[in-house]
Amino acid sequence: MKIFQIALGILAAIGGFVDIGDLVFNVSAGATFGYELLWVVVVGVVGIIVYSEMCGRVAAISQKAVFDAVRERVGFSAGLTTLIAAQIVNLMTLAAEVGGLAICLRLLSGLPYRWLIVVAIVVIGLVVWTVSFDWIERIFGYGGLCLLVFAVAAVKLHPDWGAVAHGFVPHINTNDPVLYLYFAVGLLGAAMTPYEVYFYSSGAIEEGWKAKDLSINRANAMIGYGLGGILSFTLMITGGALFLAEGIEPETLGTIAMGAQVPLGTAGLILALVGILFAVGGASIDTLFAGAYNLAQFMGWEWGRYRSNAGAPRFTLTWLVLLVLALGIVMTGVDPVMLTEYAVIFSVVALPLTYLPILLVANDKAYMGTHANGRLANILGIAYFVLILAVSLSAIPLMILTNVGQA
Amino acid sequence: MSDELDLALGVLDHQLLDRDGRRCGNVDDLAIEGGPGEDAEVVAILSGPGVWPNRAGWLGRVAARIGGGRRVRVPWSEVAEVESHVQLKKQATDYGLGAGDDRLRPFIERIPGAGR
Repeated sequence: MKIFQIALGILAAIGGFVDIGDLVFNVSAGATFGYELLWVVVVGVVGIIVYSEMCGRVAAISQKAVFDAVRERVGFSAGLTTLIAAQIVNLMTLAAEVGGLAICLRLLSGLPYRWLIVVAIVVIGLVVWTVSFDWIERIFGYGGLCLLVFAVAAVKLHPDWGAVAHGFVPHINTNDPVLYLYFAVGLLGAAMTPYEVYFYSSGAIEEGWKAKDLSINRANAMIGYGLGGILSFTLMITGGALFLAEGIEPETLGTIAMGAQVPLGTAGLILALVGILFAVGGASIDTLFAGAYNLAQFMGWEWGRYRSNAGAPRFTLTWLVLLVLALGIVMTGVDPVMLTEYAVIFSVVALPLTYLPILLVANDKAYMGTHANGRLANILGIAYFVLILAVSLSAIPLMILTNVGQA
Repeated sequence: MSDELDLALGVLDHQLLDRDGRRCGNVDDLAIEGGPGEDAEVVAILSGPGVWPNRAGWLGRVAARIGGGRRVRVPWSEVAEVESHVQLKKQATDYGLGAGDDRLRPFIERIPGAGR
């Protein structure tokens, strides 16, 4: 029975892995550089596994979520700065996911975009208000598994498998290294989006994880996110095999869904759209919760969906307000794909101050006891922290140099 | 509680829990008494936006203004336990903690399904 539960959790983690950032960056990286950036996705997926496992373990053992750790370790002043940066990036991401959700609904229904934005917001609000945390994870995680259609599409497009294999070997494209590095930064940012660790660590407390649940934590992080990363590969391979060959720049979610339509017909298109619908819908809710978790934890308020809506009043008000703000942003008509690019690049800048406190608390034997970081977790944790630091310093310059990937 | 306690790392900025495990604010600052040459002693936990200007300059002042400037003082003798959280001996309302949640709750409760 326990194995069965773990398997269901893993399935939800796979389906919940991809969000609009992964869709946009993987497919456009494929359309621009073919399979050359596949190895960067591997680096990003291992990074999110390392830090998810770590923050899930910290939450299970010490009952501290990420922003508890942020405040304790970097103090009020730097913590407040981190909070503000995280909330701005998180709101941008939320708006991008909601916009993506509305676009998906429009492609499926043909109704006007602005109406569907309102529909998307109302549906998200109702789901969060009425559905329990476990079921939210399951519904959207399993629905997101429809994205596996891209795996079938990638095979059907008959990519040059030798070139695909070569893409997993770390290297740098020399024709246009600056644009290549921009995409590399974007792919890392999309795989290691900060809201994932905010949501994951708080989710561990929502689900009441204790020391005995550490195996579930490991399985979800390693197997769930590891296999979820395969979805990212298939998106990039589809982009490389179809869009690069045809010289198409995938600038909309509709174009991305075409990646499944061309080899698989209408059924492929519908599965792709439904998969994207659940993926960005689930990510909308994750980011919405993440924003409310962060503020509530920093302030010390009661929080969590495991409390009733009225049981955590300021937490509830926070996500309601965030939803209204997201509505306002998407209603301006801003292009969700462009918003995604900005959100991913800015999120990279906020990553070091998110990861450092996790690393510090995970090493604190006073809380963690025998579950403190071992040597492997520390080697990987420190290596990724250094990488993230370098990436965060280069993200904005690369964005400017490439004119947000247009160069 | 261990005999030795690192106040900066082990108490400051930690979550406050009341007797029933309710999250009711953070340890925003500590009141320490004792003149030069005397032993310094923690006499109280300070919590609430009113404390933030001491912690973060202009950003703290802006945040305190938005947050309403409330400030609660909990005597150190009310601390039951310091683990990964700081647990208090009585209910949050006995100290005036968690007042923001208590004020907002009746409004949230009016919406159908608030108990879900």
